[in-house]
Amino acid sequence: MAFELGILHFGELAPDPHTGRPPTAGTRLRELIEQAKVADEVGLDVFSVGEHHRGDFAVSSPAVVLAAMAENTRSIKLSSAVTVLSSDDPVRVFQQFSTLDLISGGRAEIIAGRGSYIESFPLFGYDLGDYDELFSDKLGLLLKLREENPVTWQGTTRPALRAADVNPRPERELPVWVAVGGSPASVVRAAQLNVPLALAIIGGSYRQFAPFVDLYREAATKFGHDAGALKVSVSSPGFVAATHREAIEISHPYFESGWMANHHQRGRGVPMPLAAYEAQSTRAGAFFLGSPQEVAEKIIDQWELFHHDRITIQLGFGDVPQKQMLTAIELLGTEVAPVVRKEITSRQESAAKAGSR
Amino acid sequence: MSAPLRVVAVVGTTGPVSKTKALAELIISTLAARTEISAEVIEIHTLNPALGAAIERGQLDDRAEAAVRAVETADLLIAATPVFRGSYSGLFKHFFDFVDQYALAETPVLLAATGGSDRHALVIDQALRPLFGFFQAWTAPMGVYLSSGDFAGTTVLNPEAYERIELAVDDVVPVARLLATARREAATPA
Repeated sequence: MAFELGILHFGELAPDPHTGRPPTAGTRLRELIEQAKVADEVGLDVFSVGEHHRGDFAVSSPAVVLAAMAENTRSIKLSSAVTVLSSDDPVRVFQQFSTLDLISGGRAEIIAGRGSYIESFPLFGYDLGDYDELFSDKLGLLLKLREENPVTWQGTTRPALRAADVNPRPERELPVWVAVGGSPASVVRAAQLNVPLALAIIGGSYRQFAPFVDLYREAATKFGHDAGALKVSVSSPGFVAATHREAIEISHPYFESGWMANHHQRGRGVPMPLAAYEAQSTRAGAFFLGSPQEVAEKIIDQWELFHHDRITIQLGFGDVPQKQMLTAIELLGTEVAPVVRKEITSRQESAAKAGSR
Repeated sequence: MSAPLRVVAVVGTTGPVSKTKALAELIISTLAARTEISAEVIEIHTLNPALGAAIERGQLDDRAEAAVRAVETADLLIAATPVFRGSYSGLFKHFFDFVDQYALAETPVLLAATGGSDRHALVIDQALRPLFGFFQAWTAPMGVYLSSGDFAGTTVLNPEAYERIELAVDDVVPVARLLATARREAATPA
């Protein structure tokens, strides 16, 4: 299958660096839906939205936002990134995403994660002390709901199900990915469960993550799964504009604003200096940040390392204005994606030829 | 307006391509964004062979003597070393062996180190801090330790490294300003 490129958005409501005021949640949500429409029109493969339960994010119900996107798009896949499964009911998650899958004609996906924020635990009555158990128990149930209906299940973090009828049923196997941030134990669990891996690389050197991808495939093989059939995706922040300079200059003030709203030390936001941001855009840095050519080169470099199947870019984090976001999405779809798909396909083909000789 | 802070960085690397030097320079540019400074970077390998051959201060050549003097009169010292064989480099310690015992009292020192892995991070608190404790210097509470994975070549990639430097610099600048003023007033007869 061709290499996939997509966009990731949290619907953050960061203060505008010029006015100091954040956008309203309603404005942001309508903008996300428009972004998904444009992403679909320019041929991008995935649009994903993350779940947060705080005043500085507009998306707490990914399935609702994705359903609105489904009605405005034709072929783009619609995913959560992530669904905070630990503090949700897997039955309800399954129902929402199977509904989305039916509405969208088979385009729904779930990326299940533990989330890097903790607000949802007290909100839904869960104890943070059970962080690991909640996730593994609920992931087990979510995967079982895909396999059988009626379902019989017993775990430790929610009441047992006995021949429970969970509807509606999707018309295919609903894709479920597991998100990891770089903990070896999470990687091995995903391998054991035979589910695709969504790797978040939020800065620094992406090369450091190669051992995790290797571990994932090795572990999958040891557990008796076909590692070659297991997908891997990489998500990192980024922004694309006509030139390198423009990409940095447009996006940095917004990124820093979003970063400071989310990245606290001693109770206050810490800045992301321009030099730090630019370092992420260098060839070895993790961000997909620069001109279309630079971003395409970085994706191809990464593919040589990870042999992954998909990237999603957290595009214009911190609420880059909609006009510039839409331009970036267009560039990604028309100038980055075709180059990347063509190059990776040709490398896959020559690798296959070399392998068959 | 107060005078620029005289910032001196001692880099303990033994060769010209240096992650430690890159770290020291990043700290200097972060300082320069906060307050007016004049900066000098002393790469101690450039002071050889005179530095390595000297046993007593009188045996230093002019360049090495000037470097030691610059450290002794700095308003803010950045002490940056790679981890060699589990600690600061021998040459780094050898250089500081020539520094006057009390010259760094009332001098703020920002501790920085680089190493091959995160396992060496305690070099800041278990090797560098005791050394400057001996000198009765004001070591900044936050040191900056980076491992090779935080770099691509000599470019610092890890955003957390930048963040740590920002905080370390925020902490040390007001102290450095106060101490510099106090030192100047003490040096000027009323």
